[in-house]
Amino acid sequence: MRRPLITASVIDPAKVLRSVHDNSAGGTAMFVGTIRNRSEGKPVTGLRYDVYKPMAEKKMLEIESQVKARWPVRKISMVHRYGDLKVGEVSVAVAVSCDHRAEAFEACRFAIDSIKRTVPLWKKEMSRGGKGKWVKGTPIDT
Amino acid sequence: MNVRVLYFASARELASKSAENLSLSEGASVGDLSKEVQRVHPPLKTLKNSMKFSVNLTVVDADTILKEGDEVGILPPVAGG
Repeated sequence: MRRPLITASVIDPAKVLRSVHDNSAGGTAMFVGTIRNRSEGKPVTGLRYDVYKPMAEKKMLEIESQVKARWPVRKISMVHRYGDLKVGEVSVAVAVSCDHRAEAFEACRFAIDSIKRTVPLWKKEMSRGGKGKWVKGTPIDT
Repeated sequence: MNVRVLYFASARELASKSAENLSLSEGASVGDLSKEVQRVHPPLKTLKNSMKFSVNLTVVDADTILKEGDEVGILPPVAGG
């Protein structure tokens, strides 16, 4: 069974990293997104993610295919979390293993940038005693 | 014709629901559905210029013609990561 692309469970970056291990890869690049404690100078206690899950899973698979078509990738693994996350928790992890580091960095960068533009995910910044505020975002890309 | 409409994030809050079935005339487009959801839920007008639409998990243009049973996602600007 393949690992989940969208999950409500805690993401373990070490597991994501292990999942792209390949003996022919000489370089692995990884991006880990975490919840930070401030936004535009104001304190944030956490983020609430909303997701259109079946569509998000489809878009994540499309991104994996695009990455594999553009770079000589040995393995790629991506996972994004949804639900209520506290400061410091991991919201997204992307790992790419390639023969060499240059393509690993490029492919990883493309994957996380694509997640932000094309996957139907939304986040609300939660603050102490507040109702929270949806992050402005960008119109979804096809 | 009936379509299933799903509201997400700020759209869900503005519509005060996450999903509903809407009845549209035959040959209605996504643009027609956009007008209908804003008529039924006037607070959604605040998203008029920024919301996008998916039909059966694919982002589509406003001139896309809907079919019976389509699942339409009302998508405010996205912010993953």
